[in-house]
Amino acid sequence: MQLYDPTTSGPQRELLRAPPLTSLDGKTIGILENGKLNATEMLRELARLFEDRHGCKVHAAYSKSNASAPAPAQILKKAADEVDFLITGLGD
Amino acid sequence: MTLSRPAKDAGEPFMSIAARIHEVPDNLLAAIDYCYEKGWTDGLPVVPPTLERVHATLEHEGRPPETVIATHPATGLELSLHAAAVNAVMAGCLPEYFPVLVAAFEAMDKPDFNFHGSTASTGGSAPLLIVSGGYADDIGMNADVNLFGPGNRANATIGRAVRLILRNVFQMVPGISDKSTQGHPGKYSFCIAERMRGNPWPLLCEAQGYPKGVSSVTVFAAGGFCNVENHGGNTPQQVLSAIADAMASYGCITLGQSVVILAPEHMRILADAGWSREETQAYLFMHAKRAVEGMRGVGKYRASEYEKQHGALAHQLVETGYVHRGLAPEDILITLGGGDAGGHSCFIPSWSRGRGSIMQHKPIGVCIDCK
Repeated sequence: MQLYDPTTSGPQRELLRAPPLTSLDGKTIGILENGKLNATEMLRELARLFEDRHGCKVHAAYSKSNASAPAPAQILKKAADEVDFLITGLGD
Repeated sequence: MTLSRPAKDAGEPFMSIAARIHEVPDNLLAAIDYCYEKGWTDGLPVVPPTLERVHATLEHEGRPPETVIATHPATGLELSLHAAAVNAVMAGCLPEYFPVLVAAFEAMDKPDFNFHGSTASTGGSAPLLIVSGGYADDIGMNADVNLFGPGNRANATIGRAVRLILRNVFQMVPGISDKSTQGHPGKYSFCIAERMRGNPWPLLCEAQGYPKGVSSVTVFAAGGFCNVENHGGNTPQQVLSAIADAMASYGCITLGQSVVILAPEHMRILADAGWSREETQAYLFMHAKRAVEGMRGVGKYRASEYEKQHGALAHQLVETGYVHRGLAPEDILITLGGGDAGGHSCFIPSWSRGRGSIMQHKPIGVCIDCK
C-alpha cells in the first residue's frame, strides 16, 4: 500500500540565524514590547539587569500592536540597524 | 463581478508535485498504526491516505495540486492543495467536502485572521467553520438537531481536517508550537452548517454579499462553547438578555468578536416579534456589558481598551462607564442552528481578547473576480 505523506509543505525558505554576540559588554539593547499587560515593565526590568551586569545601554524601545502576530518587517529592520540585540517576550 | 470556477489543469495533475510517498504493508490496520507511529493523528485513528483517495479528492479542485492556498506567517510553511487533500482523506472527508476545506483555509489565510496567533496561543482556540448556503445541503451537512455534536460525517470530518492540517502541515503540535493552556473539544472538530429551514433572516452568504447560489464558509478563531438555556423567556428581550449575560461574564468579556447560534425556539420568539438580525445585534451589544468598577474588581480593566471602545471612533451605542463586548454590533455574528425542540442557544467567544483575529469568509468552489 502506498500512502502520501501529510506533512509536505512547499519549498522551505532559507532561514538564517544572526551570528551570536561574542560579548554582551557595552552593547546596545533594543526592547520589543508586544502590547501585553506588564510587558513593558517586565522587559525594562530585564534590560536593567543587562545594564547592571554588562554595562549595556538601552537604545530604543519598539512596539507592535498585535501580540500574537509577527512583528512588522520594518520594525525588525529598524531594530537590526540600531541595536546590537533585542529583548522580547510575553507580558501578562 | 465575475464568477468562475478554477480551470481544470489540462496536463497530468499529479506529477508536478514532489509529494513524499510511504510504502506500507497491504494491511489496513497496520497502515493506521503506521500513521500513529509517524505522529500524523489527532489521537484518533485516521484513514490511511492512499494515492487513489487523494487523487479522487483533488478531482474536486481544478487548480494544480501544488497551488498554495495558505502560508504560515511566522514559519513560512505553505499549504498546497495536495497536502490539504491528503489530510482531508485522513480525516475521513468525502471528495465533495474538499471545496469547503479549501475555502476555509483561503479565508484563514487572510492576514486579519492571524492564524498563527490563534493556533499557537495559550488561549486555546479552534477555528470554527460556519457553512452557509446550498452547498451545505448538497454535501449533507447538519444544521439541525445535535448541531455541535457527533453523528454527521461532513461536519465531523471537515472540522477534523482543519486540525490535521494545522498539525501536520503547519506543525502546530500540542506542547511545542500549540501552547493552549487547556484547549477545548472543538480542537478535534468545530464545523457546522447554518440552518436554512425556518430561518427568517438572510443567510450569512447573502448578508456577506455573495451572488445568488454561491455558498460561503465563515471562519472564526473560537474559544469554548457556552450553552445559554432559557425555557421561560417569551419575549426577545428575555431571551436575548440571557445571552447578553453570558457574553458579558467576567471570564469572557473582551473587545473581541462573538458568535451566537440561536436555537429555533428562541429564533421563533424573535421572528414573531419582527426582530431583524441588525436589531438583535444592537440589543446584544447594548446589554453585553460590565461596569468599569466591576472590571476593576476582578483585575480585568485596562484603560487602553476602554479608550479604544469609547474614543473618537466609539459606536453610538457605547455607554459611558461600561465595557461592552466587542466594538460594535457588527462584531456579533448571529444566525440559526440546532434542533426544533429546546431553549438552548449558544454563545461562542473569540479567542482574541482584542482585535488579534477577525472572522473571515470565502465563497465555496467558485472564484469571484479572479483572473
